This record gives sequence, structure tokens and C-alpha cells, in this order.
Amino acid sequence: MPDISIVFSGLADAFTLGNLLYILLGVTLGQIVGAIPGLSILMALAIAIPLTYSLDTLTAISFLISINKGGTIGGAVPAILLNTPGTPESAATALDGYPMAKKGQGGKAMKYSLYYSVFGDVSSDIVLITVSLPLAALALKMGPIEIMTLMILAFTVIAGLVGSSLVKGLMSVAFGFLLASVGLDPAMGSARFTFGFIELVDGVPLTAIAVGMLAVSEIFVKISEFVVPTEGEDATDSAQVFDKGDQNVTFAELWANRVVAFRAMVIGTVIGAIPGLGSTTAGFLSYSISKQSAKDPEAFGTGDPRGIAASEAANSAVVGANLIPLLTLGIPGNIAAALLVSAFIIHGVQPGPLLFERQGQLIYGLFGAMLIANVFNLIVGQFGMRFWAMIVSAPAKVVYGGALLLCITGMYFAAGGVFGLVIMLAAAVIGYIMRLTGFSVIAFIVAFVLTPQLERSINQAILITDGDFSELAHHPIAIGLLVASVFAIYFLGPWKKRESLIK
Amino acid sequence: MNIHHQYIRPIAIAGVLFATPMAVFAEAECPAGYPSGPIDFVVAYGAGGGTDAIARMLATQLEENMGWTIPVSNKPGAGGGVMMASLLGEAADGLTVGVGSTNTVTLDPYANEGIDFTWESFDYPGTAMAVTFGLVALADAPYSTLEEFIDFARENGRATVSTSAIAIEIAVQRIAEHYDVNLIPVPGNGAADALQSALGGHVDATIQGSQHIQQIEAGNMKQLSTLVSERVSYAPDTMTTIESGVNVTAGAYVLFVLPKGVDPAIQTCLEGAIAEATASDAYTELMANFNTTPANLGSAGAVEFIQNQAAEYQAIFAARNN
Repeated sequence: MPDISIVFSGLADAFTLGNLLYILLGVTLGQIVGAIPGLSILMALAIAIPLTYSLDTLTAISFLISINKGGTIGGAVPAILLNTPGTPESAATALDGYPMAKKGQGGKAMKYSLYYSVFGDVSSDIVLITVSLPLAALALKMGPIEIMTLMILAFTVIAGLVGSSLVKGLMSVAFGFLLASVGLDPAMGSARFTFGFIELVDGVPLTAIAVGMLAVSEIFVKISEFVVPTEGEDATDSAQVFDKGDQNVTFAELWANRVVAFRAMVIGTVIGAIPGLGSTTAGFLSYSISKQSAKDPEAFGTGDPRGIAASEAANSAVVGANLIPLLTLGIPGNIAAALLVSAFIIHGVQPGPLLFERQGQLIYGLFGAMLIANVFNLIVGQFGMRFWAMIVSAPAKVVYGGALLLCITGMYFAAGGVFGLVIMLAAAVIGYIMRLTGFSVIAFIVAFVLTPQLERSINQAILITDGDFSELAHHPIAIGLLVASVFAIYFLGPWKKRESLIK
Repeated sequence: MNIHHQYIRPIAIAGVLFATPMAVFAEAECPAGYPSGPIDFVVAYGAGGGTDAIARMLATQLEENMGWTIPVSNKPGAGGGVMMASLLGEAADGLTVGVGSTNTVTLDPYANEGIDFTWESFDYPGTAMAVTFGLVALADAPYSTLEEFIDFARENGRATVSTSAIAIEIAVQRIAEHYDVNLIPVPGNGAADALQSALGGHVDATIQGSQHIQQIEAGNMKQLSTLVSERVSYAPDTMTTIESGVNVTAGAYVLFVLPKGVDPAIQTCLEGAIAEATASDAYTELMANFNTTPANLGSAGAVEFIQNQAAEYQAIFAARNN
């Protein structure tokens, strides 16, 4: 336990006026960037880092973390209101958020999303502040063999996302496998399926694929509905998402989903503490587990608040937990955390095992700033909702046209030119066809996100064990995860849904 | 943290040849009319990273010293290859300067098919920082030197080393060949992933550039061998590979790159201006944050380093493909 005076003076450092302003600015910026499909939080962070060179260290890092935190709130907005998730992790939120909005309860869906997101974020911050050291030690036990089995478990659990047809769902997953195999082969280090494009050596860019498949293809669907209106649905009027009466969420309504939200927070925190996974994995895992373990899985996808809770509490919990390996070991858990590492280093602070010892006051200042950012997130989110409600009250042609424009310009900047743009538009066309023919875009995205980690850890595991399966006996966590996979297939598999349909 | 106010401390062999004192470059001589507009710095890695920070800091210094305007942009991808390939199409007017790594020109053209450039496709007005690599293991590992690690591998039949780049995998394989033992490189997703595998005890050792330094200071890890020709300040008792009699090094520099054919007068001007910027106090301070000191080989020194390393890698890949 650190010296209590360091804890308090650190926390006090966070409460300077300048700091509060930068945290407010960061949270607001993050919510706006997250809400705009095509702009990514990573890009916002990367652009913001050089701007923080002149700030003092605590203000700079607090500002960057606030942007990251704001992004977890903002991403859900277009997912709920327009079904065009701006980030892959908010795609799971769209599954129930958008149907709820279509029922005229867009405000309610956004409030659920905001509250559960802040709940996940605050809880994982508290875990970070209190038990980061033992949790980091535990996360180190997750070596390549354990990660490989965890990925296998993830693939069995997400079976709940394959959509109505198991065969078509598996085909989507296979397509995700295929596209994820483009780029450097992790075993040989040589380029694979790049067809001479040097831009593809790092693989097909995830942002371009995610925004194309999830957001732009949905915009295509909507635009096609302007031309050929579907029966019983007036696509030209998006204002109806706020039509139906009371848009408030009571505490009782939030409390009703406490089990789902708590489980989601735990999943998000654990996934966040293990370097290399990330918020998309956490959101989908949590959503799928909640759906498949529910008594009424068919209610998910029809505007069930449990779906929003499962996705948002999990993907937001990753943000705080991601700092566990970063602050205790100096190991960044994902790209956003890696950007924070470079910000630390530029300000003369070396993240690593000596960080708490050498920079205790700074770290507790940072913890203070994170807690403040959560409060601001809640406040700015409340105001933001009215703002977003105004935006979507514009004619749908303007809203979707504007969203398409933002996707295109955003991708041009994010992917550094035309190449990412072409990939995004190609993904959008494929996504459009998949939607029309009943193939699950979600199953594709999840497979695409998980595959590189799966392949890399398989390769590492084979090298470490020399291909000897009996080595597994020395890895109890891995055995546990494999057993859990078998249970997941049996208990959470799509058969359950079939039975309930037959009834 | 030590800040050495020496201007140049190149670590590579090439540095010995480059003994010209700094003062020569202190005032860069530039031809009249140059630059005719803003000079674009194109960074081969993403915004917010180490190379990006170096480029932005030096751009600011050049703007102050020379009165130039230098916008910095990023063209990441393929380990710097995307930026290098894009330079091939740029006008040789000295208004586009790439900032990348020596590895991209010394290794990539031989390691991968379909690379349109070689090291001879560009000119190099200087370097900014040296990256040094060390073989490190957990502090409680039963070996403390390269020789003991090799003995361990021999007794066990094998030893695993987590790596983060092809250049490092090659270094592991060459050390294994030298001693005729079975060392297995385990490729990770970047240096952090490789370090994590080693810290968790999932591999027997790892090769790291800088992230392990604080682990050593904290007593979690120890450096078995240093893979450049001089010992490093954070592990002064650890022998280099050369001292151990293994002629395998893995070093790299942050590198400035010009399209081929820029007017020699402009090249001299840029070389001088960059040398002045890398010698500035502000840049030295940034380098101290990275646990290192500025390392500018100058144009001739950079070419010499690149030529030697490229020849080595070319020979290695030619032998592999036979």
C-alpha cells in the first residue's frame, strides 16, 4: 500500500481548474468523435498527442484518457439511432439499441447505454485503483497457450451471434477467417494474399472493414429504401426514434438488469486486463453469453435493455482495465494504450514496474482524473443526447447523406489516403449483399477481429510446446478454458434457440 | 537519467569512421531559392509513436533554426515500407523528406517479394537515434550470460526466445547456428507482446529494444547479452555478442530519407540543418526520455551502415533460398 499522503496529494493534483477543463474538453471531444461514424478514437488520440507536448504531464495524460473514455459513450449513439456503429465495439449495442429506437424509444436506449457504460467504466477504474497489482500478476499467467484456448472459448461462445441460419452464420465466420489471413503470416513472417499491394502487408485495415461493413452498408440499405420504400416503414423520417412517450430510465429499470450488467463489467475487466484482446471481443462475448444464458434468448435483438447493458458495460470496462498491464508492467494492452505509452515517454515518464514507486503522485493524480472524467462523461452524455436528438430530427436523407460523407472523409484521414477508402467501400458493398441475402455481418466482423490473435497464439503455442499436446497438462488454466468451451457449445450453442422456436 | 551533452555517440561500427566534429555542420549552407515552399516530413509510422515524436521535435527545431515551414504527416504500414514505396514517386526537389528506419531498406527488400525499392533507391541526409537490442531473461532464470543460456539450451535440447521483428528472428537463428544449438524464435505481436511472454515465464528469454530497461532496474529481469558492438549504460557488466565471439548484431537507426537525385547542394544543406537539430538541447532531452542519446551518423555514415547491413541480410536470404 502506497503512502497515504502520496495518494491524497495525487488526487488533489487532479482537481486544478486547468485539469478539470482539459478533462471536460477531452470527454466532449471523445463523445463527438466516437459518435461520428468514420472517425475513430485512435485517430483522435494520435492527433491529440502532439498537441499535449506543451502541457504538464498529468494534464496531458488526463486529457488523452478522457478522450478515450468519451469515445466509449459516443460510439453507441449512431449505433442506436441510425444502426450505423462508428466503432466495431458498439456493433453489439446496435443489436438491441436500434430496435428499441425503432419502437420510438431512442432516448431511452441512449440513456440505458450511457448509464451502463459509465457503470462499467467506473467499476473497472475502481478495480484498477484497488487491485491492479494482483490482477496484473494473474494476467501474466495468460501465456500463448492460455490465450489460444481463450480464443477457442470465444469462438464457441459467439455462436449465439450467427443469426437465424447456422450454415449461413458459419459461412460468414469462414469469410472472416479468410479476410483476416491477408497480411504477414505470423509463422513465417512473409506476406500472404497481398497480391502485390504493399498496403496489405499489415492486413486488411480493421477500421475500414468495420466502418464499411457495419455503418456504410447500413447507409446503403437506408438509401435504397428511399428509392423503394419498404411497406409499413417510412424510411424518410428518422425523427420517429423519439416518438413514443417517456424517454426516461428509472433506477428500478436499471437495477432489473443488475446481473447482466455486473457480469458484463467482470468480462470487460478481465478481457481488458489481458494484453492483446480488447473492447470488441469483450462486448460481443458479453452480449453472446447474456443472450445464450437467458431464459428467453429470442427477446434479444428486439430492443431488450439487457442487450444494451451486456454490450456497453463490457466494452467500457475495458478502458480502465486496459491500464492495469500498462501501469503495473509497462505493457500496453491495445493500440490506444500503446499511444498512451508514447505520451508518457514523451513527457519523461517511463511506464513499467517502477512507475508507482517513482511517480506515485502522478499515478494517483491520474486515478483522480479518471474518476472525474467518469462524472463528466455522465453529464456531457446527458446534454449530448439532446444534441444528437436534434441532429437525427433532420430529414433522413440529410442524416444518412451526411453520415456517408463523414464516413468517407473520416476514412480518408484515418487510413492515410485512398486505399483505406476503397477497402471501406468494397466492404460496404459486400456488407450490403450479405444483409440482403441473410448472412450475418456481425459473425463476420467478430471472426475477423478474433482470427489474428487466434492464429498468432496457435503458432506461438506450437513453437513453445514443440507441437507436443501433452504439454497442455502443465497449463491448468488452458485445460479449464477448453472444458469451458465444451460446456459453452453444449449449453450456449444455437440448439437452445431452436428448441424454443419449435415450442 | 544521464544526459550526455556529447553531440554524437553512434554505436555502430560505421560511427568510428565518422569522427568529424559537429562544428563543421553548425551552420548549414543552403543554395539560394531553397526551399521554394514547405518541406514535408513523412513519417513511416503512425502518429503518437516514438519515430513520430522524433520527427515532430526535429521539425520544430529546423523551423526555429532555419526559418523553414515543415508540416509533419504519417504514412504508416508494412514496417515503414509504405512510406519508402511512396517516396519512389516523389519529385527529387528536396521538399519531401521521409523519416523511417534503416531496417526497412536493409532487410525488407531481401526478406519479402514484391518490394519495389532497395537501399540504393534513396539518399540519406542523416540519422537521429540508435536502437540497441539486448537478450534478456527473468531475474531468477538459471542462466546469467549468453554462454550459460546456450548451455541451458543444449542441456534441454531447446530454448525459446520471444521476438518482435524479422531482423530479431534472424539474429536468434544466427546465434543458434554459431553455437549449433536449438534456439526457437517465438514471434510476438510487437515488442510488448514479446516482453509479456518472457515476464510470464512462457518463453526462456526475449530480445528487446528499450521496454526491458525498467524491468532490469526493478530487478525483474537480467540482460544476458547486448546485440550491438558496445556495452549499454543500463547493463554495463553484460558482454556484447562481439565480446562473446559471436559476430551477430541487431542494431537500427531512425533514418532520414530523400528520393534519389536531389541536387547535391540541397542534400548538403539538409544534412547540415538536420545535424544541427539533432544536436539541440531540446532533442537531447527527448532522447533522455527514451533512455538514450542522439545518434546522427551523417550522410556518409548512414550510407556506410546501411550498405554493410544490407549486404549481410542479402547474403543471409540468398543462403536461405538456396
